[in-house]
Amino acid sequence: MPFLDIIVFPGLLFLLFLAFFCEWLDRKAVAKLQNRVGPKHTGPEGILQPFADFIKLLSNEDIIPAAVDRIMFSLGPILILTLSLMPLFLIPIAGSSALVWFEGDLIFIMFVMTLRIIITFLSAWSSTNRFSMIGGMRVILQMLAFEIPLTIAMTGPAISARSLSLSKIVQFQASEHLLLLAQPLGFVIVTICLLAELRMVPFDIPKAKTEIVKGWFVEFSGKKLALLRLTEDFELVLAASLMVSLYLGGPIGPWQTQSVLYFFTKLVICILILSNLRALFARFRIDQALKGAWKYLTPLALIQVILVELMPMVIP
Amino acid sequence: MGLISWARKKSPWALHFNTGSCNGCDIEVVAAFTPRFDLERFGIILQGSPRHADVLVATGPVVRQTKDRLVRIYEQMPNPKCVVAVGTCAISGAPFTGSYNIHGGIDKVIPVDIYVSGCPPKPEAIINGLIQAIKKYEKKQ
Repeated sequence: MPFLDIIVFPGLLFLLFLAFFCEWLDRKAVAKLQNRVGPKHTGPEGILQPFADFIKLLSNEDIIPAAVDRIMFSLGPILILTLSLMPLFLIPIAGSSALVWFEGDLIFIMFVMTLRIIITFLSAWSSTNRFSMIGGMRVILQMLAFEIPLTIAMTGPAISARSLSLSKIVQFQASEHLLLLAQPLGFVIVTICLLAELRMVPFDIPKAKTEIVKGWFVEFSGKKLALLRLTEDFELVLAASLMVSLYLGGPIGPWQTQSVLYFFTKLVICILILSNLRALFARFRIDQALKGAWKYLTPLALIQVILVELMPMVIP
Repeated sequence: MGLISWARKKSPWALHFNTGSCNGCDIEVVAAFTPRFDLERFGIILQGSPRHADVLVATGPVVRQTKDRLVRIYEQMPNPKCVVAVGTCAISGAPFTGSYNIHGGIDKVIPVDIYVSGCPPKPEAIINGLIQAIKKYEKKQ
């Protein structure tokens, strides 16, 4: 039943619920770390809060300012949502192979993530607001800096598994060992780069609230804002599930068992790591972030790849 | 329709704007978002851009310099929207009434839904005011 797979499980509906759940989990975890309560009165323990936000934004007035480029401004949020949803279909969630998979889908995921950032820049530029233009420029700068160490570090698992497919990497981890044990450095680099790539808190420079209001999505309201917020939730799921499938073995449990529950548990752990970092750090300046990426992360990623190649020679 | 009014009741996002206040009310508004009072319990988040906000929390008397800005920010907010005037100055202009550079309370310039009195009002009073605003906001189309 490929149709049911795409629409219900592990397709669109499941991912939608997962995205809302992850936003709730993230907000609750950050609130807990800041000694607050977080969303409380929307459903049990506020679990329906992201859903309520989404419905409210959909019902709000959708303003298109007079000065914007109408086509790009209206198309932007839809394209960004599609492009952030697409890589999720390539990630093995229920079994050891994904809904769609082919040799080289790791490269495809990287390509889609780059494309998404270019669309982000275009829609920021087309909203003709000074803040969103600055935000758009920062999005591009950050992508240029962090794409390179991310790609280099992601080749580590690919070299170990001798395959450029995420599903194959997960199957390799099922038969051999978790790649987190072999490449802890790579895991750290990928986590930092994903934070930057998906513009989460220590690297939320493009939408810094206190200096450029809300950065690249300052002009979006109503339905467009709802789609953009949903995109952010999907990106959170994407970041966590990339970490899970590259280094933690995806839906693989102990004793060669496979279940979506294992995937879910690992996903929750990864999201807790990400929200812990979000509560722990303040925002970097743009030059600090770029300097960090070029001076430390790229060489470290190269060292990781060299280690991956050398390790089998030293320890047979 | 029931779903939409439920969603509106559960997630009113606030925008804080200082129209010329002495900063007393602003500290109390910000205090309402701190761990001790935590307005996020009710789904209220402080937003940066007027395009994202539903409730305008305005503090202080409207001075000549901020009048145009206040109107502009109010017009930039998407419908439905409501305004909460926080503090005695925001209600009437208080000690500055009749001064050459004061227009008076917020309601001289834009329609106000809820008034929270006090100089400055306690965070509990602001929370109460925002809850009243939510009740009004839920019914708006």
